[in-house]
Amino acid sequence: MENENEFTGADILLKALKDQEVDTIFGYPGGAVLPIYDAIFGQNFLKHVLVRQEAGAVHAAEGYARSSGKVGVLLVTSGPGVTNVVTGLTDALMDSIPIVCISGQVPSHLIGTDAFQECDTTGITRPCTKHNYLVKDVNKLSETIHEAFKIASSGRPGPVLIDIPKDVQFAKSKYIPKKDISFKEHRIKAGSKNVDKSFVQELVNHIKKSERPIFYVGGGCLNSGPQASQELIKLVNKTNIPITTTLHGLGCFPGEDKSSLGMLGMHGNYEANLAMNKCDLMINVGARFDDRVTGRLDAFSPDSVKFHIDIDQSSINKNVKVNFHTNTDITLTLKEINSFIESNNIELEKKDYTNWWGQINDWRKKECLHYEQGDEIIKPQHAISRLYDLTSHKDTFITTEVGQHQMWAAQYYKFSKPNRWITSGGLGTMGFGMPAAVGAQMANPDSLVIDIAGEASFLMNIQEIATAVQYKLPIKIFILNNEYMGMVRQWQELLHGSRYSESYVDALPDFKKLAESFNAVGVRAKNISELDDAINEMVSIDRPVIADIWVDKKENCFPMIPSGAAHHEMLLSKYDKENPENQEKGKVLV
Amino acid sequence: MSSTSVYPTPINAFKQSKRSVLSIIVDNEPGILARIVGLFSGRGYNIEALNVTVVDIKNNLSRITIETLGEEKVISQIIAQLEKLVPVHSATNLANLSESYEAEICLVKIEFDNNEQDQKILNFADIYRSRTVQKRQNIVVYEISGTSERINKFLDDLNTIGGIKVELVRSGPIGLGI
Ligand SMILES: Cc1ncc(C[n+]2csc(CCOP(=O)(O)OP(=O)(O)O)c2C)c(N)n1
Ligand SMILES: [Mg+2]
Repeated sequence: MENENEFTGADILLKALKDQEVDTIFGYPGGAVLPIYDAIFGQNFLKHVLVRQEAGAVHAAEGYARSSGKVGVLLVTSGPGVTNVVTGLTDALMDSIPIVCISGQVPSHLIGTDAFQECDTTGITRPCTKHNYLVKDVNKLSETIHEAFKIASSGRPGPVLIDIPKDVQFAKSKYIPKKDISFKEHRIKAGSKNVDKSFVQELVNHIKKSERPIFYVGGGCLNSGPQASQELIKLVNKTNIPITTTLHGLGCFPGEDKSSLGMLGMHGNYEANLAMNKCDLMINVGARFDDRVTGRLDAFSPDSVKFHIDIDQSSINKNVKVNFHTNTDITLTLKEINSFIESNNIELEKKDYTNWWGQINDWRKKECLHYEQGDEIIKPQHAISRLYDLTSHKDTFITTEVGQHQMWAAQYYKFSKPNRWITSGGLGTMGFGMPAAVGAQMANPDSLVIDIAGEASFLMNIQEIATAVQYKLPIKIFILNNEYMGMVRQWQELLHGSRYSESYVDALPDFKKLAESFNAVGVRAKNISELDDAINEMVSIDRPVIADIWVDKKENCFPMIPSGAAHHEMLLSKYDKENPENQEKGKVLV
Repeated sequence: MSSTSVYPTPINAFKQSKRSVLSIIVDNEPGILARIVGLFSGRGYNIEALNVTVVDIKNNLSRITIETLGEEKVISQIIAQLEKLVPVHSATNLANLSESYEAEICLVKIEFDNNEQDQKILNFADIYRSRTVQKRQNIVVYEISGTSERINKFLDDLNTIGGIKVELVRSGPIGLGI
């Protein structure tokens, strides 16, 4: 007899997604997920976005998550469906993005028989997820899905995968709602909710004593939520301490504010890197001392007392030894610092670090982001500057691909709010930006979403233009077209004697015609006189647009701290030459 | 107090490398051992020995003991990475406890062909208080337990006897803090 309290595995999945307030799922069908697609058919709370390749689904889910603060969700079939998302899962793990990936698996009785489209999904994805599951019993399905969402979004966020064999999608069980599930604390690892008061006191004491303090802020601040940014702004304003952010920290603090030194690291600002090198107090808020940031470790900020706030215990003392640390959530900790300063009437304004700011302003006079825009060929830096000037009044989200254009975007586009800047940092995944823009536009239908792209990266997931067209997502792809894998070309020029081995992108398509063939719109700027018009046209069209911006092919991205060099050994222009000893050592690094 | 290692340490490769025994309590679920072993191989850590068994059927818990080599900084990083794994309840470096005990068990099969050898074997077996599991004409199987160091010494002593054939299996160290 049919029991009306029992549902199929596929229906349980949908109920759980509804319970988790998921309204969008990115996916691609196949044999092992047909029961789930059957359940998706004929329901209306969940919008399914059909991508063109599963890699598109996972990056779209990342873009969705980053731009909305919610968990991104995707659905793929067994075998090739799931192997196609391995890059994206790794990307989300490196950059701490909460996503849940549902994959179909061959029926339980066929597992281990090399069945058609069988692969060891949990085995393949174990090292590239925060956690993963193979659900063999339909009675465990509800609980597993709810735990997956909890794990993806708690503590340091990350990707979680649930592999569901086809027979489990058909099998029946009761549905257990989220509210009836009691999570096991040791599995969720949400981090401590208790602020470490002694850390806070110690920090405030050091701020009072210090002569040359700096905030070094990373993506953890973003993941702690918008409130973290608010508390950070309050604290910076109160203390007048300079602040630099990592690639992922951009937007946590307004980029145009006078206290902001911009981004630090390999292509960071001169003043930011020198301030890190010379500071006597470093306050790390949710950053992980990544090699792109620290440069040569033995010369990294040698004279500073280091404080580190990070919810991930394994980030503490991993690359750089710190003096004080706390694992409590950033928002809670910053809040406590602010209220400690207020309630103890500590007047930090009096201490305005005049000498320190004088020194920093001297460094600023170098104008490390200066470039010469002639009156013919478009400089890529200028293209981004104009894009910023012509779009910053709008509610804009920027995604990027990977390469020089990404670094120029980070340098010349300024962000005033968190979650507006979506880029692949840890893994550096070419082909990330366009599907991420699809995801960001799904989450923010009324905003302007622009993928700042390189022509080589764009070709890696170009099929997703069709997704944007199908769902009428008016994303803009702003290509800085230099006909080179520019970042590779730059390293070859600087480190490999200008031997440009395989870095020229030959046989490029005509991007304008390509746009048209997809039923999108193409615009082009070949020289400086056409740039503003192309940008304005791109922005004004309410459809997906590919803007093909022809830029200087040989331009390099500066400042640059070559691998193996220290912060103060930065190259500012092509006229700076690298210390040959560092060059040999750096060549073997990444 | 924990026992020190007699394993030769590649001094140049790991200047500060120390032997550590890690005790890890986990949910006994599919894939947990793969997660842990994968963490070690993926991050380039050493596993010198590994042991795993269910220790609490009611709560479905297993205890995994891993002997590893590394500088203090690396060991703390291993612990922090282990504790990030979802099914892991706790990971402890026994060396950091004020009091902990270690033991290992070894089965050793010795083939010999004359009485002189037999006498020497018997003698060592007696000194190390190993238990005879089986004795045949010219084959004997012993069980010896204790710290890894003690077992190493026993095996070293056996090796001084010429002409015998030794085959053995070791559990790897297990340990418990108090
Ligand atoms: C999937 C992938 N393969 C290779 C690389 C190595 N890589 C880094 S930047 C780059 C060139 C990118 O070229 P393009 O998209 O045109 O950007 P540009 O540097 O010219 O702005 C390459 C090949 C990568 N980051 N990702
Ligand atoms: Mg290029």
